[in-house]
Amino acid sequence: MHKILIFAKREYLERVRTKSFIVMTFLIPALALGGFVVPSLVNRGGGGSKHLVVISSDARTGALIREQLLKLSDDQRKGALPQQLQRSLPQIGALTVDVDTNTSDSERASLSEKVNQKQLDGVIVATKEALASKNVPFLTRDVSSFLINSEFERAMNQALRRDLLKSKGLTDQEIENAFQTVDLAAQSPTGLGNPQALFVVVFGMAMIFYIVVLLHGISVMRAVLEEKTSRVMEVLLSTAQAKEMMAGKILGVGAVGLTQIAIWALMVLLPSAAGLIAAADMLKGVISIKVILYFAVFFLLGFALYSTLCAAVGAMVNSDQESQQLQFLVMMPMVISVFIMFNIIQSPGGSLALWASLFPLTAPLIMFLRVALQAPPWWQVAISIGLLVATIYGLVVVCGRIYRVGILMYGKRPTLPEIMKWIRYA
Amino acid sequence: MYTIEMDQVNKSYDHFVAVDNLSFNIEQGSVFGLLGPNGAGKTSSIRMMIGITAPDSGAIRVFGKPFERKCLQKIGYLPEERGLYKKMKMLDQLIFLGELHGMTSGNARQQAIEWCGRLEISEKLNNKVEELSKGMQQKIQFIAALLHDPDFIIMDEPFAGLDPVNADLLKDVLLDMKKKGKTILFSTHRMDQVEKLCDAICLINRGKAVLQGNLKQVKAAHGKDSVQIAYEGDGAFLQKNPSVRSYNDYGNYVEVQLAKGADPQKLLRLATQHARIDRFELAEPSLEAIFKDVVGKTDA
Repeated sequence: MHKILIFAKREYLERVRTKSFIVMTFLIPALALGGFVVPSLVNRGGGGSKHLVVISSDARTGALIREQLLKLSDDQRKGALPQQLQRSLPQIGALTVDVDTNTSDSERASLSEKVNQKQLDGVIVATKEALASKNVPFLTRDVSSFLINSEFERAMNQALRRDLLKSKGLTDQEIENAFQTVDLAAQSPTGLGNPQALFVVVFGMAMIFYIVVLLHGISVMRAVLEEKTSRVMEVLLSTAQAKEMMAGKILGVGAVGLTQIAIWALMVLLPSAAGLIAAADMLKGVISIKVILYFAVFFLLGFALYSTLCAAVGAMVNSDQESQQLQFLVMMPMVISVFIMFNIIQSPGGSLALWASLFPLTAPLIMFLRVALQAPPWWQVAISIGLLVATIYGLVVVCGRIYRVGILMYGKRPTLPEIMKWIRYA
Repeated sequence: MYTIEMDQVNKSYDHFVAVDNLSFNIEQGSVFGLLGPNGAGKTSSIRMMIGITAPDSGAIRVFGKPFERKCLQKIGYLPEERGLYKKMKMLDQLIFLGELHGMTSGNARQQAIEWCGRLEISEKLNNKVEELSKGMQQKIQFIAALLHDPDFIIMDEPFAGLDPVNADLLKDVLLDMKKKGKTILFSTHRMDQVEKLCDAICLINRGKAVLQGNLKQVKAAHGKDSVQIAYEGDGAFLQKNPSVRSYNDYGNYVEVQLAKGADPQKLLRLATQHARIDRFELAEPSLEAIFKDVVGKTDA
């Protein structure tokens, strides 16, 4: 045990002191922040003004469409859109909407030409025929701005419904009432509110999990490979057992990963004491201490599992190039976990969720998701953790052997039968 | 009392027999030479002594007891394949290795600083290993093997890659260790380098011991049938000469093994007819000559 700690201490200190640790620790949050903040800043600045024309056989319909479009851009400017939409919709900018009751083909062609020459930004061809065919052409240069275009579509449909209700003799007030929406608020059985925030927090934790395991798993592989190519191993093996080295290395690297996460957490929470309290308040409503504890448990187990696998790969190969081919294979289950994560989040009680949360290679991430989003039966959680611990122990022993024999045999990459033989070597 | 007892030890990797029924003992306080060409099984034997690998059959006793991991704290090992953490500072590295051998970190630091002074590398204590020359890295590895004051020191090719001055420096340190009663095992294929240091030897070839025992006795048993000749001119007289059993040309001189009952005077007379003789010396055979002699016989 003492030797494991010596190995862990060396691994930890040497890693935390490296430039790449410092760079990664500060660069990743900076990039993540940049990924969220910069686009929305850029969007906010953009937009400008837009000039649209609505071609409509009927002046009243045209006016209603105009009214709804202007309301959309007004609401966005005032921040009165539904929260989700307000955040995701790019800036539309100031709108000018003209109504044109000339439905002739020549008028349409001339407007289309104006759009082409950037004198106009869009033409909505809401003629009787177009409405009857349920397909209204929208002539625009921005055909790919599907977020804005689909909001225009929604606004037009609203206008058409209002038009219909109006023609049935309803008053404006009655129409307004008919369009009032009522929210359906999902709540988890654990009694935690704000499911959207829960989703965001859990998703964020899962991504941190993924990034840290990926980052450090590969660095474990590198470290083992370096020990092997620099031939330090032989001296180390003359003082300690391969499995002690392995366990120490994994503990040390795990501690580095936790340090990194702790620094990230502090970077988020520390900017002000008020921020800290606010964050604690916000998190209290969203996730429980239990979820945080489970995060720690599954993070450590997942980390140990993947580090061990990576160490074994490092012991088997002879060069960085070879290790890159294999590290992809080792990381595959992790990548698959992230892919199926979306499915699991949609149905945390499904059979895919059940099996993926028991299978040791996907369990760390998937079982954590289930524990956070749903309350799976305790025995499933217990089996999952039990299988993980058993797998890790088995892997440490097996990989320790590959480690020891692999590092003493240089040269060509071993074949699978050779590796099986190494595992049996005394 | 023996530091190491190897008793009919065997080890094979796949179909390759690395160590074949090898037995020898290393007396406590002696300098023992484990000698043989590359691939003879020297490193395989050492790895079994310190538990990196286990023998397929046979027994190994260390400090008089069957091998247990605890005794590793009393063994210092300089492997043939030198290796250190490249990015780690030299002093940190020595402390780390000292701790692994059971030292406290404070004690390891103190000893490391002392040793570095003795081997004249003090000014590099805080340099990373990758910034040091090959020779300095060798010295660090050497210190790492001795830092914890082991009772049994294993040196696998200790002088490989060292200049003569530094080789002498390390040799002096080792002789000093011997005086303190430590047991030292030299493993090398450069027999000339350790010949003068060893009390006893075991010559191995293809995993088998071909010759072993006290160095003086080994040499005496091979008699004074060796002649060293330094000459200028035509060396053809050595070929197809009935009094020459075999010879090794070392460039500056040749070492000749005389045939049984051959008269060295006759060889000298013959030699003077063909070449200018600078030196003609009847000598104890060198270990290398003995080795080639013995291996030649066993291979035949």
